[in-house]
Amino acid sequence: MALLLKTTRFVESQIDNFLDMVSDSATTFQLAIQDYLAGRIDQFEERLAQIRELEHRADDLRVSIERFLYERTLIPENRGDVLAILENTDEVIDNIKDSLVQFSIEMPEIPPELNDLWIQTTKASVAAVEQLVFAVRSFFRDLAAVNNYIHKVYFFEREADQIGEKLRRKIFGMKIELSRKSQLRFFAIHIEKISDAAQDVCDRLAIYTIKRQL
Amino acid sequence: MFFFYLLSGLFLGWSLGANDTGNIFGPAIETRMLKFKSAALIASIFITLGAVFEGSGPSGTLGKLGSVDALGGAFTVALAAGLAIFLIVRTRIPVSTSQTIVGSIIAWNVFSGRLTDYRSLLTIAASWVVAFVLSGVIAALLFYIVRPLVNRSKLHLLRQDLVVRFGLIVVGAFGAYSLGANNIANVVGVFVPVSPFKDILIGSHFVLTGVQQLYLLGALSVVVGIYTYSHKVMRTVGKDLFQLSPITALIALLAEAIVLFLFASQGLYNLLLSLGLPTIPLVPVSSTQVIVGAVVGIGLAKGGKNIRYNILGKISLAWVTAPVLAFLISFATLFVMQNVFELKVQQEANYIFDRNSITKIVEDGFDSAALSTVNGRSFKTEHDIYNELNEEHLLTRNEIMKIIKIAELYPLKIELVKLNNTGMHRRFTEAQLQVLKRYEGKTYQHKWQFKRELTKHNEFKRYAAPANEREKNHNRMLDGKLEVLYRSFSDLDGKN
Repeated sequence: MALLLKTTRFVESQIDNFLDMVSDSATTFQLAIQDYLAGRIDQFEERLAQIRELEHRADDLRVSIERFLYERTLIPENRGDVLAILENTDEVIDNIKDSLVQFSIEMPEIPPELNDLWIQTTKASVAAVEQLVFAVRSFFRDLAAVNNYIHKVYFFEREADQIGEKLRRKIFGMKIELSRKSQLRFFAIHIEKISDAAQDVCDRLAIYTIKRQL
Repeated sequence: MFFFYLLSGLFLGWSLGANDTGNIFGPAIETRMLKFKSAALIASIFITLGAVFEGSGPSGTLGKLGSVDALGGAFTVALAAGLAIFLIVRTRIPVSTSQTIVGSIIAWNVFSGRLTDYRSLLTIAASWVVAFVLSGVIAALLFYIVRPLVNRSKLHLLRQDLVVRFGLIVVGAFGAYSLGANNIANVVGVFVPVSPFKDILIGSHFVLTGVQQLYLLGALSVVVGIYTYSHKVMRTVGKDLFQLSPITALIALLAEAIVLFLFASQGLYNLLLSLGLPTIPLVPVSSTQVIVGAVVGIGLAKGGKNIRYNILGKISLAWVTAPVLAFLISFATLFVMQNVFELKVQQEANYIFDRNSITKIVEDGFDSAALSTVNGRSFKTEHDIYNELNEEHLLTRNEIMKIIKIAELYPLKIELVKLNNTGMHRRFTEAQLQVLKRYEGKTYQHKWQFKRELTKHNEFKRYAAPANEREKNHNRMLDGKLEVLYRSFSDLDGKN
């Protein structure tokens, strides 16, 4: 039983570390976009490297948690649900990384008049991810609070969609080449997709929460 | 020959292990909170400890099979009960072991012309309802208490899992210990008076008595049952009837433990009596009926939609089928054993209505006029007496049974060495043993004669008209002890 308690504490800390990484990735993503828009490309690349590292470590951590849950037959009833949550949350980091990698490869030229909307969309998406992290933490520790956080995730996802739509309208209202418009739209959608991924996790989380309730 | 007879007791032990372990660990295993191997190990250890250290309690009787007066009969009755349990368990349905044993004993009663106390049959039928409803209500109440606590709990999911797992192990171990303590006497208790095992001194302080060695052997047969066949019924209790979650599994087990502790624990009953507190009536509940009731109670508390009523129907049917099947097998086997193998399945019974018995019967308040048809006669079976006395319609069945007990010839020869050899002397106080010593070498023709002698002494004082529960319990405990004495000092074979 002492061994089981030790394992339990260890897995608990691993799950917390994993969620810390998701939260850190979202914050770093926002800073990276701000750096990019301000033209601090070196700093942007450093942030991208940090996110790559976080994504890599999060992957390893997730696999390790999965292995512990199965090898030690912990939470047999909720094991599948927890693994699905972790895997889907991991995809949020993947989305964040992919978005920044695309910036790094294509280096799109963003007209300065779009900066404000661009940052607002990013902030809304990042807020959705942060609320998702709270929701997942609550799923483990405070079931009654999960729905509040899920509600917030949905709110910020809608916010990201609305501002993203404004951003895309503004892009296509500008007198620039169509190919450039198309490229900027691709990047705007990529940022919105981060909040969509957070919403997908919440859809599952809502069901798993009902399942966990007695 | 003893070891041959013991085989059927061990077979009954095996079927007990196969049938009853599912009631304790089925939900934990089926919710994957415990591996079968771990559960089987915990069950084995605690059943053995319960059997060896608390088997049948300090003043209990020797189990239900004790009423069967010949070893060959006990062998057959145990074999039939074991077989009936085995056949039902094969269909993955758990049954009540003690009720199946009672079914088997009733067949012996009928076969040997003994009268069966209909009240015991009624009690069994009532316990099907009482145990089921009682545990269902308690489980549902527990569920309503636990649900908000769990839903609002701030305990980490993994930590909660650990607590539930720990709870399942502790409650399971407790259940296994009680199972060993309460049921081992049903398995091998009847063999205690003829057991060849002698006390073994381990180290300088610890003594493993002959009875404990016999109980250990019985417990080992239960352990074999756990490992080889108990997985059969586990799924039925833990999954098929209603899909339990780990927490609801723990609630079901807790409800089972509470019902068994409150309504079937002689220990708690005695404790409350000794403290002068009001007692909870003892109900003959079976762990199988209690756990099934608990699972259904939780299922209903959760809305009742997911209970599989067809499985519940099968289980309820098996509760009736098992004792009936045991009765049929037992009756047929007794017939074969007696007539084909010439095994002595019953002692030759004699009932005599001489001056002594008639005086005692009248002393006990019965009208001598009702005895006119039997006065001065002797009988071979209880049924014959019943038929004679019942013709007059002056006595009730219950009264006739009391009269039969008085008329029964049961030669006794008081030899304390017999008590010492089987370790039964430990059930008596030093003062009681001193009283018994005074009767060393004496012989009696009827049980009541010996009882009358003993109850003259304060050490064996019996309340003629018990006024309260404490006095009633005192009488019950004393009757248990007297039963041990009758069996130990029995001279039915005339070999003494």
